[in-house]
Amino acid sequence: MRNVVVTGGSRGLGLGIVRRLLAAGYRTIAIARKESNPLSLVMEAANRERPGSARFVAFDLAEIGEIARLVKALRHDVGEIYGLVNNAAVGFDGVLALMPTSQIEQLVRVNTLSPIVLTKYVVRTMMADGGGRIVNVASIIGFTGYSGLSVYGATKASMLGFTRSLAREVGRMGVNVNAVAPGFVDTEMTQGLADEQRQQIARRSALRRLPDVEDVANAVEFLLGDNARSITGTVLTVDAGNTA
Amino acid sequence: MSVKVEIVTQFEEVAKQQEKTLAPLSDELVLLDSGLDSLCLAIVVARLEDKLGIDPFTADDAEFPVTLGDFIRVYEDARR
Ligand SMILES: NC(=O)c1ccc[n+]([C@@H]2O[C@H](COP(=O)([O-])OP(=O)(O)OC[C@H]3O[C@@H](n4cnc5c(N)ncnc54)[C@H](OP(=O)(O)O)[C@@H]3O)[C@@H](O)[C@H]2O)c1
Repeated sequence: MRNVVVTGGSRGLGLGIVRRLLAAGYRTIAIARKESNPLSLVMEAANRERPGSARFVAFDLAEIGEIARLVKALRHDVGEIYGLVNNAAVGFDGVLALMPTSQIEQLVRVNTLSPIVLTKYVVRTMMADGGGRIVNVASIIGFTGYSGLSVYGATKASMLGFTRSLAREVGRMGVNVNAVAPGFVDTEMTQGLADEQRQQIARRSALRRLPDVEDVANAVEFLLGDNARSITGTVLTVDAGNTA
Repeated sequence: MSVKVEIVTQFEEVAKQQEKTLAPLSDELVLLDSGLDSLCLAIVVARLEDKLGIDPFTADDAEFPVTLGDFIRVYEDARR
C-alpha cells in the first residue's frame, strides 16, 4: 500500500482528498491540529475494510521547528512515504492596510514556510527511496486577483513558484512535483463569502457553477497516480472555468 | 558499525545507485569533488538519518562541511 501524507486532512478539501485516496487504495496519513468527526467516520470505515489504511496525526504545522521530528516519526511509524499533499492552509482575508502584522506572519508561516520545510524533509526520504509524488494545493488566487486576499494570494503564488523550480531540482531523482489550483469551493474557509458573491462567481464561470470538493480530490488523485508519471512542474486548475 | 564505516558505506551505495564515479575517499577529500553532487549528498544525509537516527544538519546554525573528514566529525560529535 502506498503511503500518502495529506496535510489539513481533517476538513474541507483535505478530507475530500483523504476520502478519495482511501477509495483508490492508498494508505493515508492525515495531519491537522485536531481530528474532526467526519474524518473519524471516514477512517473508521476505511480501517474496517482495510485495517491500518487510515491514520491521523495531530500536529500544528505552524511549529516549524518540530517538522523534522514529525517526518522522522512518520518514517518510523509508516515506512516509505510515496506521496505528500500540501493542502493545509489558513485563509484570513482583510484589506492589507489594516491587517495586523501578526496575521500576515501567520499566513506566510502556515501557507508557505511550513509546506516548504515539510517538503524539505519528505523529499529527501523520497529521493533516498527512489522516487515519489508531491502535490501542492495552490489556488486560482495565486494568479488572479481578489480584493482582500493579497497576502493569501501571495502565499498561494509562492507555492506555484516552488512547484516549478522544485520539479526541476528533484525530477532526476524520480520525484514529480505538481500543483492544483482550485477555484472557490464551499468549505469552512469560504464561509465568509456572501451568497450573492458565490452566485456571481458561478455566473462568471464557464460551466456556470462552482467546482466541488470531489472535483479537486479527483485532480489530486490523478497527479498521484501512475497515469501522471510524465507530468511534473505543472498546475492543474480546477475552477469550472472561472479563469478560462 | 562505527559512524565512519557507515558514512563510507552510504557514500559508496549512493554513488552506485546514482551511477556516479566516486573519488578515492580520504579525510581531506572535498565533498564537492567526491563525485556526488549536492542532491546525492542530500540522499546520503537522509539515509544516515535512517541508519544512525541523527541529522546533524537540522539545526539552523549548522553549516555544511567542506571535506569528508569534517563531515564524519560532525556525525561523530552529534553522536556523543
Ligand atoms: N475552499 C476554497 O474555495 C479553496 C479555493 C482554492 C484553494 N483552496 C486551498 O485548499 C486548501 C484547503 O482549503 P479548505 O477550504 O479545505 O480549508 P479548511 O476547510 O479551512 O481546512 C483547512 C485544513 O487545514 C488544517 N490546518 C489549518 N491550520 C493548520 C495548522 N496550523 N496545522 C495543521 N493543520 C492546519 C485544518 O485543520 P485544523 O484546523 O484542525 O488544524 C483543516 O484540516 C488550502 O490550501 C486552500 O488555500 C481552497
